[in-house]
Amino acid sequence: MDLVVNGESYRYNGQATIADLLRECQAEAGRTAVMVNGDVVRKSSFDSVSLSDGDRVELIVIAAGG
Amino acid sequence: MTDGLKLGDRIFSSRLLLGTGKFSSTDAMIRAVRASGAELVTVALRRFHPGRPVDDVLAPLAAIEGLTLVPNTSGARDAGEAVRAARLGRELCGSPFVKLEIHPNPHHLLPDPIETFEAAKILVGEGFLVLPYMPADPVLARRLEEIGCAAVMPLGAAIGSGQGLTTMSMLKLIIRDASVPVIVDAGLRSPSEAALTMEIGGDAVLVNSAIAAAENPELMASAFAAAVRAGRDAWKAGLMPQSDAAAATSPLTAFLAGGEAG
Repeated sequence: MDLVVNGESYRYNGQATIADLLRECQAEAGRTAVMVNGDVVRKSSFDSVSLSDGDRVELIVIAAGG
Repeated sequence: MTDGLKLGDRIFSSRLLLGTGKFSSTDAMIRAVRASGAELVTVALRRFHPGRPVDDVLAPLAAIEGLTLVPNTSGARDAGEAVRAARLGRELCGSPFVKLEIHPNPHHLLPDPIETFEAAKILVGEGFLVLPYMPADPVLARRLEEIGCAAVMPLGAAIGSGQGLTTMSMLKLIIRDASVPVIVDAGLRSPSEAALTMEIGGDAVLVNSAIAAAENPELMASAFAAAVRAGRDAWKAGLMPQSDAAAATSPLTAFLAGGEAG
């Protein structure tokens, strides 16, 4: 499955939920917000939302800022 | 709590809000936050990069008791992007607050009033406590208040410019007419400007660069906190009327004209 993760091409072998992708990227689910094709996915749905070929995924974390 | 800052259904005792950007280290930022006594601090969002360590700002901020995080929408160029950023921030911070900022021009970073207004309408409808960074425009302030923003945050000067209260006359108009808190955000350089903001009836100030870029951020945070308290007290105490002529503070007595005695 070919995804676009944070603007870059990303190949995932097989099917994946958001939780699977976070694990493979070593992103902590508790500290990462996820947007798929422009829609924010609630944390409670990370295990149940499956990704599809061509999905654009954004993985977002908190940073310092004004 | 007496004299609290009321934002939506929340009340805060500190009237100094702090931004967490531009500090030399997370440790310096945390020490400044503690010294400031701030209860509301802003944070930003960024992409997660595999292999690159996540800035560890969340855990040390979470360890400070009584702190509420206010995610901002910095980087958003229009209302749609800002709304998405706000939703992401809520997921990450679990906070009802959002600092709505839409500044498409990186040169001056001035807020886009039209996109800000459109985004604010949507976010208020979704239950956010919206704190909009805005031009110091009394008409826009009223419009943002009418649609349900929890406060208005007019700028004193361009973000990070340190030019101070260049919008003073407009700030006074906004403060006079507002029935939501007015938080002056951006451009401040010195604690005296924060005190002055409070003396003219501002409800709070949001400071980042003036503290982060100081030689001693922790001490500057403490200085801003004292200035905000002093300015607030001065406003509550009521400034004396001004006069063109002098008004003596000592009795004007004739007995010193001794040569005429006798």
